[in-house]
Amino acid sequence: MAGMSPSERRLQKELMSLIKEPPPGVSVDTNIAEQNLLHWVIHMEGAAGTLYEGERFQLQFKFSNKYPFDSPEVTFIGNNIPVHPHVYSNGHICLSILTDDWSPALSVQSVCLSIVSMLSSCKEKQRPPDNTFYVKTCNKNPKKTKWWYHDDSV
Amino acid sequence: MASSANEDVKGSTGDEGHNSETKDEEKKDDSIFECNICLDTARDAVVSLCGHLFCWPCLHQWLETRPNRQVCPVCKAAISKEKVVPLYGRGSTKQEDPREKVPPRPAGQRTEPEPGTSFPGFGFGDNSFHMSFGIGAFPFGFFTSTFNFGDPRPAAAAHGTHQHMEEQFLSKIFLWLAILFLTWLLMA
Ligand SMILES: [Zn+2]
Ligand SMILES: [Zn+2]
Repeated sequence: MAGMSPSERRLQKELMSLIKEPPPGVSVDTNIAEQNLLHWVIHMEGAAGTLYEGERFQLQFKFSNKYPFDSPEVTFIGNNIPVHPHVYSNGHICLSILTDDWSPALSVQSVCLSIVSMLSSCKEKQRPPDNTFYVKTCNKNPKKTKWWYHDDSV
Repeated sequence: MASSANEDVKGSTGDEGHNSETKDEEKKDDSIFECNICLDTARDAVVSLCGHLFCWPCLHQWLETRPNRQVCPVCKAAISKEKVVPLYGRGSTKQEDPREKVPPRPAGQRTEPEPGTSFPGFGFGDNSFHMSFGIGAFPFGFFTSTFNFGDPRPAAAAHGTHQHMEEQFLSKIFLWLAILFLTWLLMA
């Protein structure tokens, strides 16, 4: 691991542990991550017994060289964006740990688990009420959005 | 403790236990000394009052990142430069001075233990503490003077001020004295 920047060192460690002990329903695309440690794609399965059972999603993580002090940019990508009150149809996710509540002690794994649990607690599949407007007007980078975090109970 | 845990693992896997397995166990034991930010073994280690371990450079960078909202990365407890404790392991006092590094690690603080003979609480007469050691009045007089929780004392200092802390500290000492005295009475 010589010659790596601190963020690459940490990402390499996270990648190894995610490959070795992936949380249930979560797997990392090792080809993509090994090509460029600052860009990961995660495959995620909807948990059994939830509204998303049987669905498969893809999450994209983009890291800056300030990671883990700077939060990763996390979006759903691909042709199946989960229909959820906190997930916009362009893949942007309204989740406070991705911006205001980010902490360098969080990790790709803990972000994935938060997203799995966010999906799992959903009671009704629907887009956020401001989806159309937001998707038309937002920045490509969800971290540029000044999110107003609504209730986390949904 | 760690070594005995390791032996337990080795014992349970028996002779068939693979070397790699025991290695993994050792790795897991090491991970309790990993910095919560860079995930490496903590260097220039500091520990927060909430008990979380970091490299000082890592924690410092995080505190700089959010200067107006300094919380522990792990548990979100309030945290500050002044309130972290450096850890000095046996091998850590090498020639290199950690203060040479930027940023300097905060120094450890030592508070001298209080001298055991002279008790600073006595003779604090003009305050609201009144101790009656007359055996007849005991324990009721004692209790009413010591256990005045929520009592709107006229001299009570505003919450959070230094004086208030002092008073709390003193009333704690008095509480312990009362307990000691009670046990002594019971033993006698
Ligand atoms: Zn560190
Ligand atoms: Zn903490």
